[in-house]
Amino acid sequence: MSSNPLLSVTNLETVFHTDEGTVYAVDGVSFDVDQGETVCIVGESGSGKSVTTESITRILQMPPGEIAGGEIIFDGQNVTEMSDDEIRKIRGGRISHVFQNPQSALNPVYTVGAQIREAIQAHQDLSKDAARERAIELLDEVGIPEAASRVDDYPHEFSGGMKQRAIIAMALACEPDLLIADEPTTALDVTIESQILELLMDLQEEFGMSIIFVTHDLGVVAEIADRVIVMYAGKVMERADVYDLYDSPAHPYTRALLNCLPGASGTIEPIGGTLPSVTNPPDGCRFADRCEYAIDDCFVGDQPEFFQATGPDHEVSCIHYHDMYDSSVVLEDTAGEGTATTARETTAGAHSEAGGDRL
Amino acid sequence: MSMAWYIGRRCLWALLASFIILSVTFGFLAASPNPTASTVAFDAAQEGGDPEEAVETYEQTRGEDRPLMEQYTDFMIDMYTLNWGDSFNYNADVMTVIADSWVYSAAIVIPSTIVAVLIGFGVGLYSANNQYTKTDYAATFGAFFGISVPNFWLAIMLILIFGVVLEWFPTSYDTTVDYWSLEHAYQLVLPFFVLTTAAVASQMRYARAETLEYVNAEWTKTARAKGVSEWRIMFRHIFRPATPVLATILVADFVGIIFASAYVIEVIFGIPGLGLVSYNAIINMDTPLVLATTLVPVIIAILGNLLQDILYTVLDPRITYEGRN
Amino acid sequence: MATDTSPDRIEIGQIDWEEYETGRFNFDRKTVGSTLSLLAVGLLWLYDFLFVAERHPVLEQDLILFELSLNPNNVDWLFGLTLVALFWYVVVPLYQNKRMTMYYWSKFKQNTAAIWSLGFLAIIFVMGTVGPLIIGHPEPNWGNPNAPPVFFGGEWAHPFGTHRTGEDILEVTITGAQVSLQVGLIATLFSIILASVVGATAAFSGGWIDEVLMRFVDLLMTFPTFFLIVLLVYIYGGSLFLLIVILAFTGWGGTARLVRSEALQRSEESYIQAAEAAGAGKAYIIRRHILPNVSNTIITAATLIIPVMILTEAVLAFLGFGDPNIWSWGRIISDGRNHLATAWWVATIPGIFLFFTVLSFNFLGDALRDALDPRHET
Repeated sequence: MSSNPLLSVTNLETVFHTDEGTVYAVDGVSFDVDQGETVCIVGESGSGKSVTTESITRILQMPPGEIAGGEIIFDGQNVTEMSDDEIRKIRGGRISHVFQNPQSALNPVYTVGAQIREAIQAHQDLSKDAARERAIELLDEVGIPEAASRVDDYPHEFSGGMKQRAIIAMALACEPDLLIADEPTTALDVTIESQILELLMDLQEEFGMSIIFVTHDLGVVAEIADRVIVMYAGKVMERADVYDLYDSPAHPYTRALLNCLPGASGTIEPIGGTLPSVTNPPDGCRFADRCEYAIDDCFVGDQPEFFQATGPDHEVSCIHYHDMYDSSVVLEDTAGEGTATTARETTAGAHSEAGGDRL
Repeated sequence: MSMAWYIGRRCLWALLASFIILSVTFGFLAASPNPTASTVAFDAAQEGGDPEEAVETYEQTRGEDRPLMEQYTDFMIDMYTLNWGDSFNYNADVMTVIADSWVYSAAIVIPSTIVAVLIGFGVGLYSANNQYTKTDYAATFGAFFGISVPNFWLAIMLILIFGVVLEWFPTSYDTTVDYWSLEHAYQLVLPFFVLTTAAVASQMRYARAETLEYVNAEWTKTARAKGVSEWRIMFRHIFRPATPVLATILVADFVGIIFASAYVIEVIFGIPGLGLVSYNAIINMDTPLVLATTLVPVIIAILGNLLQDILYTVLDPRITYEGRN
Repeated sequence: MATDTSPDRIEIGQIDWEEYETGRFNFDRKTVGSTLSLLAVGLLWLYDFLFVAERHPVLEQDLILFELSLNPNNVDWLFGLTLVALFWYVVVPLYQNKRMTMYYWSKFKQNTAAIWSLGFLAIIFVMGTVGPLIIGHPEPNWGNPNAPPVFFGGEWAHPFGTHRTGEDILEVTITGAQVSLQVGLIATLFSIILASVVGATAAFSGGWIDEVLMRFVDLLMTFPTFFLIVLLVYIYGGSLFLLIVILAFTGWGGTARLVRSEALQRSEESYIQAAEAAGAGKAYIIRRHILPNVSNTIITAATLIIPVMILTEAVLAFLGFGDPNIWSWGRIISDGRNHLATAWWVATIPGIFLFFTVLSFNFLGDALRDALDPRHET
């Protein structure tokens, strides 16, 4: 990690005020993103990954949402304290978003060209014609054939993959420094997915931008990530370089996720149990209830702070990595079997909310 | 299928609809116990004449003794050539009566619709965008009251308070006043207010309901992420996608509610518009005029429906001309 | 899951198929009860129609506090039928599915306006059903015209004042409640029955049946209902019975469309296909699978139609197109309109009741929609 990251999130806390109580969607998340690197945020549904990214540019619904604490520094500026006008300039201009569902991310009553123009003209003082020209250029760059004629088509005239490309074009209109992609390929076919991923990597190289890529798909992570952030129940469990993560996954949750992949260690093992309560989080480590290696100390106090796993750039929130305990219990457990904790697996046996990896 | 084809098809349907409606109306009239005929019989009996004979003569003069098919064809031809007969009471061609009276109806209906749409849609849109705020609750509450208040009762209450007790407004309509004068406008304040309240309330509710789903739409979130200003988001990404449905509701509302409401309001305030004319026609058993004044809103409704279909396809590019999805 | 402690496996031969067989006719308590009670009402009506002279009461009984004199007219019988139907098809299912009812209730409870509305409507219901039995018809009383209400110089004997022909306004209000209740409930019930049948059939049959039915609905909805009713009343005269019939037969269009679109969505679901694969006929599927699942939408639509029916009747009565023999709210307001200066209470007080009744139904309908229709959640 460099000493001058592009984006620095420190102790972010985002909550939602609902009829059933306050939902602690993001409960103390910290991570950095450097210039030009691709950081993947991994976790199951409900882990708070989308809310985290939406908090960066404050596009989540507030109310009922609220950024209750923490600090986000983007290129030296404190984004959490910015005024509405200031953050609007950042949105699309310096940080762009791509969302999961290309079907509904484009307004059906306006042409694709018009919407790309809108992205351009929100930040740049271009005439309508100049903006349109730029839009055609962008569509071309993302690989849409016959861009000049397609620019005046409506979204429903594009296929799913093409729509997502157009959306990426829209996101890149003002050459942002950071692109936040929230599961952009989850809704697409596998073949289209690999095309989109390739596109993103090419564009990243060309523009030198950073990417935050949110996903629950560890296969994708392996392909594109430089670094990985593993989230669970609103907190970060592990932060690592991608190679370190796959070579020696440190956090029991990460190990369990990897074990969910078919082809990994022979058997697929679902993670027993369910997510902890969002309105009333338990004491201790959030994952303790479902963890194979949990010991009594895991259930008390706060979520453990970060300790080093295999190296200075590999951090994990698990007390087994504290000096007092023996981390080899986790790290060297090649067979994937826990110590005396199989009995902890609840008989509900619900498959983890990993959403059915499509690999 | 192109736009022209589609419009052609809808026009044909409109024509067919009018045909069916007119035929059904004829059926009702033909199958009904003729109120005028019974009056004639009653009168004849009173004066010592033969009621049956009187009815026969009466029917002869009115051409009601012809075979049904002939009556039907004559009726339909008359209807389509706008030969709607003469009013008993006014002793004038029905069309003339309508032409004279519609201006009075228009004086409140048109401004009311415009205001209702502007305020209704505006407040509805604002409400949807700022859900759960105090303004939203207040507006929603207001809308409930607006659509629940019986128009005629509200009119009477207003007359009671502002006309009788406070004496700010006249309690009845003065027809001698010049149409385009300020005095005339002043007289119309109360009726306009009553008519608009109901219309605003329902437009507001619809606007809020329809635009609400777009407030949380993915493309709205995308637009916000692009850095687009809130105002632009509100109009282009929340309001505009709702316009096909809203335009439809607007047209339907215009005929249904406004005409029906205007009817009652004209009767209460004594404004000599179509509603009052129709009302008097019923009281006086002036069948040609009753028929005519009932059919005018029906025709407007059919035309409105046509307009609504066309508007819908124009406003929503996803619709092909095969039909609504 | 593999960790389940499985009980002993059930052998095929052990299953008692008799238990599951229902056959063509369902003989459970609800069907028997509802059929019998509906038949009972029908037979009683027949008795009244055939054997009891027009102005004679069917039942006369001195109940000390008041004299009970029951002379139901056709609308009253229809109302009785409606109440019985509502009991068996709304109240009883709610009671039978207690858990579901409690769940909906807990969501419904959160809406305070709706709770107040429910309370108010309960009062109106009692007023409209029990009230007329106690007070009979409001009688003119020339000795006491235009008496003001109790806090404005009047007396407790006539808490809402009297009409210029002496009728007690409270009695008129009670009778008006009955009329509104009758119109609202009867017209709505028949309207939604018609709408549900048409809508579900159209959705499920598809093809030209669907096309024809929907064209018909289009036509019906094009015709502005108000003017249609005015025309019909002009031609056939205004009796409450006729009015209710007309309202029922003109007001079902919108609901039919709603039912159709809901049913269309349901018919795509797998359990329908499963039923078809098992050989079930169309009518059966509509009755047993589609309609129960669409019922939430229907109920919500119904509660929002009731106030429209009530208002329409009120407007017509106000204009003089209603039933001249019955004191409805519309009629009394119309009567009171020309005497605002001398007797403002005649038009005002019944109007307040009308206003709040309609308002309550609207609040109720809205709250029901929030509680029952999850897709409407914002």
